[in-house]
Amino acid sequence: MTMRVEYHPVLGNLENQRRITIYFDDQAYQAYEGDTIASAMMAEGVKTLRYHEVSGKGRGVYCNIGHCFECRVRVNEENIVRACLTPVSEGMRIHSLS
Amino acid sequence: MSDLLIIGAGPAGLSAAIAAAEKGLSVTVIDEFPKAGGRLLGQLHQEPNGEWWNGIQKGEQLSQRARQLGVTIQCEVSVYDISQSKNGWDVYTTKGEYKAEKLLLATGATESPIPVKGWTLPGVMTIGAAQIMGNVHRVKPGNSCIIIGANVLSMAIANELKLCGVNVKEIIIPKADITSNEAGNPEQVLSSLMRLTHLAPTPILRQLGKIGKLVHPKIAIKLFPRKGIRMFDIPLRLKNAALEIVGDRFATGVRTANIKANGEIDHTSEKVVDADFVCIAGGLTPLSELASIIGCSFKYIPELGGHVPVHNEQMQTNIPGLYVAGNITGIESAKVAMAQGRVAGLAIAADIMNDWEQMETSINKAIENVNITRDKALIQFHPGISDARKKFYQKSEVDLTQISKIKKREA
Amino acid sequence: MAVISDDDKIICRCEEVSLGTIKDIVHHFHCSSREVKLRTRAGMGYCGGRICRTIIEKVVQDINNEKVSNESQLSYRPPIRPVTFGQLGGSGNDDES
Ligand SMILES: Cc1cc2nc3c(=O)[nH]c(=O)nc-3n(C[C@H](O)[C@H](O)[C@H](O)COP(=O)(O)OP(=O)(O)OC[C@H]3O[C@@H](n4cnc5c(N)ncnc54)[C@H](O)[C@@H]3O)c2cc1C
Ligand code: FES
Ligand code: FES
Repeated sequence: MTMRVEYHPVLGNLENQRRITIYFDDQAYQAYEGDTIASAMMAEGVKTLRYHEVSGKGRGVYCNIGHCFECRVRVNEENIVRACLTPVSEGMRIHSLS
Repeated sequence: MSDLLIIGAGPAGLSAAIAAAEKGLSVTVIDEFPKAGGRLLGQLHQEPNGEWWNGIQKGEQLSQRARQLGVTIQCEVSVYDISQSKNGWDVYTTKGEYKAEKLLLATGATESPIPVKGWTLPGVMTIGAAQIMGNVHRVKPGNSCIIIGANVLSMAIANELKLCGVNVKEIIIPKADITSNEAGNPEQVLSSLMRLTHLAPTPILRQLGKIGKLVHPKIAIKLFPRKGIRMFDIPLRLKNAALEIVGDRFATGVRTANIKANGEIDHTSEKVVDADFVCIAGGLTPLSELASIIGCSFKYIPELGGHVPVHNEQMQTNIPGLYVAGNITGIESAKVAMAQGRVAGLAIAADIMNDWEQMETSINKAIENVNITRDKALIQFHPGISDARKKFYQKSEVDLTQISKIKKREA
Repeated sequence: MAVISDDDKIICRCEEVSLGTIKDIVHHFHCSSREVKLRTRAGMGYCGGRICRTIIEKVVQDINNEKVSNESQLSYRPPIRPVTFGQLGGSGNDDES
């Protein structure tokens, strides 16, 4: 089930969203253009974005505005980015860190 | 090199950019969020006249106006260091170096945490994170949630989540301990709600404000029903505390218990309330890290949300050429941030054109407008903001004459 | 019903430092928040202490019975956002941490 807020009594409805495909840990997911990595994964019900480097416990979005770095992920094999500040793009390959 | 570089494209930064560009300055605004507007973007509340304060729209209006005036706005740029140079400022970012003669820090606020047992589980997030997920990205973090922390912001956002279709099961408070203090004391929570809410954005909050004029919080909390009062059909339960967030791989609920007016827990009443996600609402504090690495002086002012960089009413800090505006100077609503931004923009223009006399009237008018906006503000985060500001500005060691003296000495 | 102890709850998310550890260090060494940070790494994680610093300072001040001072003990140090060597060299590339 999608977690998208398609209808909103004040903000209006989502229309004509362009769908793109992204890959998280090699699995394909649908995203909307304009999503951040964090919102795209949240919409798909994926809450865990990385594993704590010492305890191995799962972590996900905490602040959603770039302050906590809990959502950091690796994109396209090299860059470590904050999922909540990084827009998705077609074919983007995202990897959880551990 | 621009005349003015602004860090933060929130209501304060954008309003400053507009004011300065109107005076002919070349202005660049940078921000790490993908979209301009800052924390305005998530905001959605109803004014007493029934109209909606739609932050996304307001943010778009501000950035459109700024762009029309020739302001450059660049998003997805994170500032990590700043140094002062002979001609101004060098600002180091993830997209390279920026140079400017004057610098304005409009970095806003950050949410204070309430460390609840289990709060690192995926599915536990700040109340602001959920607000942005729902209103800006239009994604629900789950179908049901529990909010820990009862304050003006959490109550406003509870309703916003409800509008997004989330079943907000209840707003409760954290268990009282060394990390939560007042936030975990039912009487103090109610008392601060009663003092803040004369203009607040929901009828029930206004009601609390009225009651606050009639009865003492000590009595009010005794009368406060254990099952809570309903606000937009969401139970506000000040006599229930969160003991622990439960879940194996991600949060699945909160263990709660009844508490007495002083915060004492009745362990026989413990139970687990299920929820898809849990929000922590610890309130806001100024995000002043950049002012700190530059070497600004700070003052601790609880009414303004914590440590604020020392500055005067013209928004100058004690470091020449460095200005601040918006929530970095204290936690207030977006309208106040906009009014402060305008003051900063005008003051910086006067500074660059070295023409304080010519600009004095318009700067004073803008300052007056900050005070009026503050007094009328719908959302007030702490009681006593106006008085605390007045005292602070009177005492503030920086004043224009001093700064211009420093400038002359350097010249 | 057993009373849940809170001492194992995490205060510093980045370094997974618990309330109990911080309390123990303060009691044992009668120290400041700065020293707590150096001894436990609380506040020295990836976020630069942005999330946990106010709570650490509060806990330490509460235990030591001190008032909040104007200058914070846990000062911020650049870079306030983690950066790559490339960025420190000013090459202006696109990755952000
Ligand atoms: C999560 C959250 C939710 C809020 N919700 C409400 C609400 O519902 N109603 C309300 O009245 N008030 C709310 N506020 C208060 C809000 O701070 C003010 O209403 C107002 O937005 C403050 O404006 P500002 O311009 O000072 O800062 P902001 O609007 O916060 O803008 C600051 C900008 O600076 C940028 N920035 C910060 N540091 C850096 C850096 N190092 N590099 C690059 N960019 C940087 C940020 O990305 C941000 O966009 C909220 C605050 C927060 C933090
Ligand atoms: S969730 Fe905090 S930085 Fe992304
Ligand atoms: S939470 Fe402590 S350093 Fe990040």
